[in-house]
Amino acid sequence: MKGIFAVALGVLTAIGGFVDIGDLVTSSLVGSRFGLTLGWVLIVGAVGICLFAQMSGRVAAVSGRATFEIIRERLGARMALANLSASFLINLLTLAAEVGGIALSLQLASSIEPALWFPVAAIALWIVIWRVKFSILENVTGLLGLALLVFAVTVFFLHPDWSALGSQFLLQPSPHSNEAPATYWYYAIGLFGSSMTPYEVFFYSSGAIEEKWTPKDLKQSRLNVLVGFPLGAILSLSIVACSAIVLLPKGIGVASLFETALPVAQAFGKIGLIIAILGFVAVTFGAALEVTLSSGYALSQFFGWPWGKFRRPAAASRFHVVMILSLLAAIGILFTGVDPVQLTEFSVVFSAIALPLTYLPILIVANDPGYMGDQVNGKVTNFFGLVFLGIVLLASIAAIPLMIISGAGA
Amino acid sequence: MRNDRELPAPPPVAGRVLDADLELLDRQILDPDGVPISAVDDLELSTPADLARLDPQHPPVVQALLTGPILMTRIFGGRLPESRFIRIPWSIVTRVGTVVSVGAAADSLDASWTERWMRDHVISRIPGGRHDPE
Repeated sequence: MKGIFAVALGVLTAIGGFVDIGDLVTSSLVGSRFGLTLGWVLIVGAVGICLFAQMSGRVAAVSGRATFEIIRERLGARMALANLSASFLINLLTLAAEVGGIALSLQLASSIEPALWFPVAAIALWIVIWRVKFSILENVTGLLGLALLVFAVTVFFLHPDWSALGSQFLLQPSPHSNEAPATYWYYAIGLFGSSMTPYEVFFYSSGAIEEKWTPKDLKQSRLNVLVGFPLGAILSLSIVACSAIVLLPKGIGVASLFETALPVAQAFGKIGLIIAILGFVAVTFGAALEVTLSSGYALSQFFGWPWGKFRRPAAASRFHVVMILSLLAAIGILFTGVDPVQLTEFSVVFSAIALPLTYLPILIVANDPGYMGDQVNGKVTNFFGLVFLGIVLLASIAAIPLMIISGAGA
Repeated sequence: MRNDRELPAPPPVAGRVLDADLELLDRQILDPDGVPISAVDDLELSTPADLARLDPQHPPVVQALLTGPILMTRIFGGRLPESRFIRIPWSIVTRVGTVVSVGAAADSLDASWTERWMRDHVISRIPGGRHDPE
């Protein structure tokens, strides 16, 4: 009985933890402009994150080494430092976006200016990171994030024209949408970046060490990832569908989380809105925790410092100092007055640019018997790993030119 | 006919052969309790008497693992004054695998002084810093 409970908990956490501010904003934005014609990107992204998250978890469980230690050992100090700088900056952008997301969600609930929520959110994040056990912080936010299932229910409740949605999903553009191809591909990369953000891999592999996984635990983790992440992607897809049904025909653009929640409000009124806001707060808070931890993980692992929530803060002092400084930097970014929604759009595109730097070393080490013994990648995993590395590389190279051509999706 | 026949045979060595660049540099250093100390940021080798022609009987040997600011000069170039080297003597290294293990506690080594400084001056002063998370 306990076994079933643990499995269910793991899967549910993975579903709720899959979505973050990047997914919320990008999904509803893409739905409101392109309908479901970009839905395929979410499926590709889900397969990719399953593959690489599972691979990084397996490397961590078998070799005991987390992702950034591996990046440095394999790419050398110079390349790894370049990688660290890029990843760390993108992590800060993402963190600012997530804290902004918490503030926007709380603004929906309270009508209090987001700027007043930034410090409150950051302090709450710090207290949780300082005092709460790893397993609790991961499970609570993941489970509360399941409130977003209200979007999946909304899709059915709105009685959409299923054949029109289906034809959009098969790439027949909606009559309400006339966007340039460059814009289409720019948002394809954004959506791809939002579902495969690098911090997820840092977090997943470091989490495997936090929870002291052994090769025995891999079966459970495989189930969590292979069931939980695709279901999480369906959650994202249902947000796209909601926007495609409600926002696209009326030409409503997404400028804040209010528009994201609009379809739910239309279907279920106040109660729906409350559930959606609860989901927003849970997933952005959960993701903000993950990103904060990831910035500590990446820097500590590069320099070889002690890290991890399984240690007392005093036994991982530099790790905690890095996280405190990251939170302060995130508030600093937000107080420049930048629009959190726009910040999110940029952070997902820059995530896409940095992806190959993270995924290549994982693929290399997963094939190294010195680390993995007889648990090296099989041929099938390597085939898909290489295919995805190709896709990720393509997205990374195309991102900046597309950003310029499309005027950042304007 | 393969070319390497004409090269002098490598000197016979007892034990494992390590590629210092691949198997030592940038590896994690752990103390006997598994506490991370640092990464291997650079190596200090003994200086041979004649730099131009190495004596095969007395090759340079690794004297210490180096950490700290030396990493920046290794990456960006330049030269660090020897007074700022932070050494972990090779004599305390107990094992070299995917990590480098040493036989001294992390807290007894100079290499983790920044960890101790942050702990004593920042983290311990914040309430709850010395307790396990709940």
